[in-house]
Amino acid sequence: MLQSQAWQPVVGRTPLDALRQGVPDPFERLFLEEYPKVVAIAYRVLADRSAAEDVAQDVFIQFHRRVSPGDERAAGWLHAAAAHSALNVIRGERRRAQRETAHAVDPAQAPVASPERLVVEAESRREVRRALSRLPQRTAALLMLRYSGLSYAEVATALGMKAGNVGTLLRRAEEALRKEVNRATPE
Amino acid sequence: MRHLNDGTLRRIYDEPLALTSLDQAHFDSCTECKARFESIANVARATATLLTVPGFTPEPAAALRSVRIRIRADETRRPPRWYERWLDRSSPRFRPIATPAIAILLAAALMTGVTATGVAQGWFRVFAPTTVAPVQVGPSDFAGTGALLDYGEVKWLPDAPTLRQLTDATAAAAQSGLQVLMPASLPQGVSGPVSFGTISHATGSLTFDADRLRASAATKGVRVNAMPARINGSKLIVNAGPALIEAWGLSASASQVQMPTLVIAQTRVPTVDSTGVNAVELEDYLLSQPGVPPDIAAQIKAIKDPSTTLPIPIPKGLATTEPVQINGVQGLLIKAVLGAGVVWQKNGVIYAVGGQLTPDQVLAIATSLQ
Repeated sequence: MLQSQAWQPVVGRTPLDALRQGVPDPFERLFLEEYPKVVAIAYRVLADRSAAEDVAQDVFIQFHRRVSPGDERAAGWLHAAAAHSALNVIRGERRRAQRETAHAVDPAQAPVASPERLVVEAESRREVRRALSRLPQRTAALLMLRYSGLSYAEVATALGMKAGNVGTLLRRAEEALRKEVNRATPE
Repeated sequence: MRHLNDGTLRRIYDEPLALTSLDQAHFDSCTECKARFESIANVARATATLLTVPGFTPEPAAALRSVRIRIRADETRRPPRWYERWLDRSSPRFRPIATPAIAILLAAALMTGVTATGVAQGWFRVFAPTTVAPVQVGPSDFAGTGALLDYGEVKWLPDAPTLRQLTDATAAAAQSGLQVLMPASLPQGVSGPVSFGTISHATGSLTFDADRLRASAATKGVRVNAMPARINGSKLIVNAGPALIEAWGLSASASQVQMPTLVIAQTRVPTVDSTGVNAVELEDYLLSQPGVPPDIAAQIKAIKDPSTTLPIPIPKGLATTEPVQINGVQGLLIKAVLGAGVVWQKNGVIYAVGGQLTPDQVLAIATSLQ
């Protein structure tokens, strides 16, 4: 007779098992390690908590479909995807309008600030995001990754460039953003 | 010495310790570089101000729960992929209704066999693989009704193969008669307990039956080429197994379907013997039937030494292959988006290593097994 039971994992008794006990599965481990960074990147771009968390979760779901958590490029993939996904959001006019409305009335972000100051800061952030959305995608992604706290080596891995070139490209990206902001808000 | 470039000066602002001692010595003594650094640092500070956002600490545990729910919903909505349907149809959980699927598997093995070597009076060994080769299979291949045709009676002599789960390596080795293999080390990302499974040795036969084929074709409403008289009533005997499977990364929860992070599998080479039927004639006949895509037939025919080559189905467009050497034996490396695998044959055993790993990791495991 054929046995038709489902595959039931069992605990083996090899010496390697001692090392494996209590370790979460690879996706879970990667999620817990990388989620704060992925959110930080999206948040740096969007300046909106719930939108950043939405983007970060979408990034992990895409990752789950496409990439092995054991892949040595997994973290780089997540960082780059977070930057590009969030930048795509600020490029979308309709969603941007929705986010700005939500952002302007978000009282939790600075509860001690005066309403006037909140409005000024929100407007300033909107101007910066508009400038950011006009930069070339790779330039904007480089800025966001670095200003989210990634090291030069992590930025290089995420964007597939040499670590030695990050400083030069970052310097150019900063100049480009400065010019774009100045162009949008002439003195 | 030349002045430091803008990139180096920019990096000093973020990572001052990354400077080489030579660059540091120059920077300390160069007023021009210091002035340029100040300008670059001012732009960096201004950018940091522009990009400032209010503080916020995310909660990964809550987010993970939410993502898990969305992944489960995603998996439920997603129709089974073609290879999942294929695996389900050809898994050891054979039901009587799966008879035609077994016939197709037998036929696929037979189609590769054109060089007969006598093993007994009136019998021809048409297939005994010593090496492996890729055959690209697309998502729509074998999806038609042709794959479900009934070519004849399948019998297990005496019983169909049995899948058993085992509690430890020693029992797995004893049951399968194969040595439990362990990699020298596990790559990052592979964790959790190792699970063992064995599949017993089995002998099966397919007796071609023109009447059954005609009846099944009529039921399905498809046209088939009439079975030649020499094939009708002839018999194929397949010897397969035993097999031993070791899997890492399977969830402890039986309800959670999860792809293992690492699988090491081994099986004695399968053989196919035939009762006198002309293998070339059988190959031509089966390849011309509905359900066998022309490009797959062409790929099988193109295999240089088909009686000793095991075709490995490779999902077209989702994976690439390349020949590799595994401890002095030629193998086939499979690279896919989700992971990688390698298959090789040595001393009458086919080995496979695969999982959610990079090709380099898979090769390192394959060459270090002991």
